[in-house]
Amino acid sequence: MPDNNNSSTDDKSLVRAAQKGDMVAFEELVARHRDKIYARAYSMMRNEEEAIDLSQEAWVKAWQRLKQFQGESSFGTWMTRIVINLCLDQLRRHKRQRAESIEAMDEESGGVERQMPVVTVNPTERLERVELRQRIDQALSQLSEAHRTALVLHEFEGMEYKEIARTMECSIGTVMSRLFYARRKMAVLLSDLKKPQ
Amino acid sequence: MKQELQLKLQAYVDGELPDHEAGEVSELLAQDTEVRGLVSELKNTRAALAGFEADIKLPENREFYWSKIEREIQRFEKAETAVSPVSIFAAWRRFLIPASAIAALVMGVLMVGRQVGHEGAHRGPETETTFADSGAFTYRDYASGMTLVWLSYPAENDLLETNPGNRLD
Amino acid sequence: MKDKFSGAFLLWRVALLLLFATFAGRCAQTNELKFESQLIWATNDKQSPNPKHKDVEPEIRKKLDELPLKWKSYFEVNRKQFSIAKGAASKVAMSEKCGIDVKDVDGKKVEVALISKGEAVWTRTQPLPKGEILILSGNAPDKTAWLITLKRIE
Repeated sequence: MPDNNNSSTDDKSLVRAAQKGDMVAFEELVARHRDKIYARAYSMMRNEEEAIDLSQEAWVKAWQRLKQFQGESSFGTWMTRIVINLCLDQLRRHKRQRAESIEAMDEESGGVERQMPVVTVNPTERLERVELRQRIDQALSQLSEAHRTALVLHEFEGMEYKEIARTMECSIGTVMSRLFYARRKMAVLLSDLKKPQ
Repeated sequence: MKQELQLKLQAYVDGELPDHEAGEVSELLAQDTEVRGLVSELKNTRAALAGFEADIKLPENREFYWSKIEREIQRFEKAETAVSPVSIFAAWRRFLIPASAIAALVMGVLMVGRQVGHEGAHRGPETETTFADSGAFTYRDYASGMTLVWLSYPAENDLLETNPGNRLD
Repeated sequence: MKDKFSGAFLLWRVALLLLFATFAGRCAQTNELKFESQLIWATNDKQSPNPKHKDVEPEIRKKLDELPLKWKSYFEVNRKQFSIAKGAASKVAMSEKCGIDVKDVDGKKVEVALISKGEAVWTRTQPLPKGEILILSGNAPDKTAWLITLKRIE
């Protein structure tokens, strides 16, 4: 039997046990999925401490809502959705605290991405994996929260435009614009490469 | 290249275009180098991002990370099941709260009866429905009694003529 | 004795009539809600090229300045006052292309729909007490903006 099927089956058993109050089973689920949940929070928040706090909050919420989980998706997907929503709530709190002006939001979706020249270099061919990951890490931090969120939800969470629009409470057009801007900016940032020695 | 085409190419790369439009884009790809360049860039960026999160590890060991979660779960569960000690005050409160609620209800009915047509100060919840993915942003200033709703739809030209300075009326 | 009774009866009828008139007047007042709506063009230009436009009134200008908006000038393009009976709705065309539908909901809230090209594109239901303003807005060409204000005046 393939490994993922094994772990998936095991996840189901663990979930069933945890739903009956088995904390040991739940702790095993945490151990299995903690990196993925943390990684998603970190991709969105770009802050280690915040990502740890939010991922832990996601686990606590998962415990409280476990009985509502009916297996409509994999447990991992269900968990990532919980942490994504917590991250989005936190980003909204950040936004209110910063009192972003409508002007700033307007400029965010401006047309600068249309003017960036097309990048012909393929970063995966030019960089070692570790360096590529560092580059992506830096580049993600340089995106605005809205652009980064759209990118994370699409590229890492695999959401379709419609679902991203619902999650981010914006129009599909806005999702497409933000995604396009984020990708073009990433391409430009990743193309600033030193030639390998 | 117009933004509409750029977003269409993106949707093509993402598999979000309807079949007939995807067919049109495929034909365009065969003919136009600029289009091919952008599609290639989008695909390269996607490939670069693939698997990025797989290398991210939680920077805390298993026991420490779990201990905080467990503590928080137990704290919630204790709060839910906590029973306050029975006291005379608590007993009176159990009686007083519903009694005062009934009294308040009666008072409210009498006051409403007197104030037909008069606006109360109570503000109910606000609800909003959007059509056509309007992407509305709402700003509320309670002090000055203003609500500003910024809509990204309809598109710019839908409400005003191209030269609003001349043609708004 | 008969006179005494008829006098008292007359007084009673007058009192009843007065009471009825007061009540009817009060009902009439409270059965209709009065609104004012303005279509405003926001720009950074000092003057509007359209001579029919005028600067918005100082009161509304002050309100707009309190909002997180970036424009320097606001011009009134159109203004309409209208009444709605309790539970009824009113369609108000603010320009050739746009308008609002305002519906009274239970006398305490209003349902406002933005109409563009004959279709409702956005709707909101909220309380709008006398003196409060709801402003709908969006981008217009050349980095300007349109605003539609709705204020309850009675």
